[in-house]
Amino acid sequence: MITLNHYLLLSAILFCIGLYGALSKKNAIAILICIELMLNAVNINLVAFTKFLTPGDLTGQIFAIFVIVVAACEIAVGLAIIIAIYRDRSSVDVENLDWLKW
Amino acid sequence: MAINFSLIIPEMLVAGLALLVMIISLLVPKDQKRGLAYFTVFGLIGVLVVLYFMLDAQGTLFNGMYIVDPFGSFMKILIVLSSIMAIMLGVEYVEKFITGFLGEFCFFVVFATLGMITLVSAGDFITLYVALELMTISFIILVGFGKHIFRASEAAIKYLLLSALSSGVLLYGLTLVYGAAKTTSINGVMEYIAQGETAPILVLGIIFMISGFGFKISAVPFHMWTPDVYEGAPTPVTALLSVASKGAAFGVLFRVFMHALPGNQELWMPIIIVLTVLTIVLGNFVAIPQKNIKRMLAFSGVAQAGYILLGLIAFSTVGVSAALFYAMIYVFCNMGAFGVIIAFSQAGGGDEVQDYNGLWKRSPFLAAVMLASLLSLAGIPPLAGFFGKFQLFKAIMEQGYVWIVFVALGMSMVSVYYYLLVAKAMYFKDPHEDSPIKVSLPIQVTLLAITLITLFLGIYPTPLTNLATQVAKTFF
Amino acid sequence: MELHVIAFWLIAFVTLGSALAVVFLTNIVHSALALILTFLGIAGLYLTLNADFLAAVQVLVYAGAVSILIVFGIMLITRGDGRMADTNIFGKYKYTAAIVITAFLGVLSHYIIKTPWQMGTAALSENTMGDIAELLFSDYVIPFELAAILLTVAMVGAIVIAREVKNPK
Repeated sequence: MITLNHYLLLSAILFCIGLYGALSKKNAIAILICIELMLNAVNINLVAFTKFLTPGDLTGQIFAIFVIVVAACEIAVGLAIIIAIYRDRSSVDVENLDWLKW
Repeated sequence: MAINFSLIIPEMLVAGLALLVMIISLLVPKDQKRGLAYFTVFGLIGVLVVLYFMLDAQGTLFNGMYIVDPFGSFMKILIVLSSIMAIMLGVEYVEKFITGFLGEFCFFVVFATLGMITLVSAGDFITLYVALELMTISFIILVGFGKHIFRASEAAIKYLLLSALSSGVLLYGLTLVYGAAKTTSINGVMEYIAQGETAPILVLGIIFMISGFGFKISAVPFHMWTPDVYEGAPTPVTALLSVASKGAAFGVLFRVFMHALPGNQELWMPIIIVLTVLTIVLGNFVAIPQKNIKRMLAFSGVAQAGYILLGLIAFSTVGVSAALFYAMIYVFCNMGAFGVIIAFSQAGGGDEVQDYNGLWKRSPFLAAVMLASLLSLAGIPPLAGFFGKFQLFKAIMEQGYVWIVFVALGMSMVSVYYYLLVAKAMYFKDPHEDSPIKVSLPIQVTLLAITLITLFLGIYPTPLTNLATQVAKTFF
Repeated sequence: MELHVIAFWLIAFVTLGSALAVVFLTNIVHSALALILTFLGIAGLYLTLNADFLAAVQVLVYAGAVSILIVFGIMLITRGDGRMADTNIFGKYKYTAAIVITAFLGVLSHYIIKTPWQMGTAALSENTMGDIAELLFSDYVIPFELAAILLTVAMVGAIVIAREVKNPK
């Protein structure tokens, strides 16, 4: 029997994989990708809660739709900035972004 | 279902203004956009007037999705005021350093304003999240659109990556709270917590939420982005970021924690206290060695955020009203300081503190405004900042947190030191060059108004304190 | 074993495996391809959770649009030397982050397992798409409109930022 905990643990693991990548990667695009993984983990949480806890009410699914919208916006703007930086410096390695101290 | 649309008139006006400015800016020739900027300012002043008359309005829309109350309206006034000042101060800066992007500057500021004013009224996690992201993404674009400015895109990517990370964490927290309370509405969460049961997952959710909001108000240890982004962004954007986005984040933080989570105060209060003390101590100490004035103001802003958090710790009408009063004062002082930096860099000056040597001889007006703003931030009487800090400390004292008062008091002494370093450079050192600085009319008017308000509120704070006290009653 | 149990484990295995591949592969193009597989796996999970509309959105928006955007981004920025093998390597925090995250995952799972969930008893909506549409245009109309504005802002902003600067000073 698959319970809510199965889904939540799956989502927690996915969230942690994303968080790990976001904290340890060097390439800015890779960090963006890992943040997408985190947001997807959040969506699994939301949809699982909708099915198991509030089946009559679709709030969680609607929340997930908004998360998807925002994630798409974030990635579009992020890639635009990355392209602008690459044009200047031919590198998107975050450790090379040293004009400003981290 | 009858919907009282009159409650969201300001939001509709701001949204309409933003779209209108965006369309007009396509039609106006590139070098004649200044009129558009003043049109935006007039539009926002209109919104301000509407908000003023709506201060007493109270009600909810769409089953509690959207809450209109005096607290929200007060924060909206604060936000719209700072947007107006940012545009007034920034017009010439943008024309000079980011040529051809004045229209974009105006409508992205208005879009950010829309995000912020809906954020402080959000009655539901979904509205909260979307409004928060509208604010953040508009600010990311504002930080990064000045490609002619060295470092702007780098500041933008840092801001984007870190804020996306933090909103991911915040979102995870929100879903956990949703799972525990089975509702996303703030009222619903309040009712759930009032039943007295605390699911273990709720604790985790609240911790994640604190770290997410902590990032937005740049509380230590989530402040790392602040100095870099403040330094790299165009200065008018930095000014807006340092007051309005922080104000909006405080608005939503106060609403969530005072409205939805008062039932399990003993759970999150220790975390907030640790965060506040760390913020005040670290912000002030790290500000001392800063050579760049924007970085120094960034760390001083971190410390000021800590002072405003004291209002949440006090958790009383007095505390909230003191925090609101202080937030309003902080807006004027910070805008004043950044306004001087904007005017100075337009005249070819750099951002290092030593560049300000002898500013007094080159422009007595700018030096005086800077001095008034910094002294007010430091909390020296008779300027407004003193009264704000005094009230905050009093509110904390009433709750018995004497040690916090001592820490905060000691740290404000430290802050006097680094604020006076700038004053010393301005008044007692010789300038590198003698040419007087010409300050343009819009900046002069804005800075004069800011300084007069700071002085006035320091000498006669009663109107604003009365208003803040009235507004603070929303929560109790 | 029932069918949906097998389906869950299969999809979970694929999703987590490809998510790990996203993080640990050193070629950014391979990572992006693994990311598409992760997105598809998550769409499958939504189907096991009776969220058919979201599964469709997931495939269209994530596996379709977002992945294409990312691949385009990679294509635009890795011109030049053409060496792809080490485009996605770890920075200096590799081991610290691993330790912190493992501990974090431990705490997270502990809290999740400890929580006594009260399962809902109502029947799951049959017509999710209709119900979502109705909610979006009644209770959730403010975030819906805000999301529309957010999309405009992001689109205009991306153009403003990525546009080639004609006259650098």
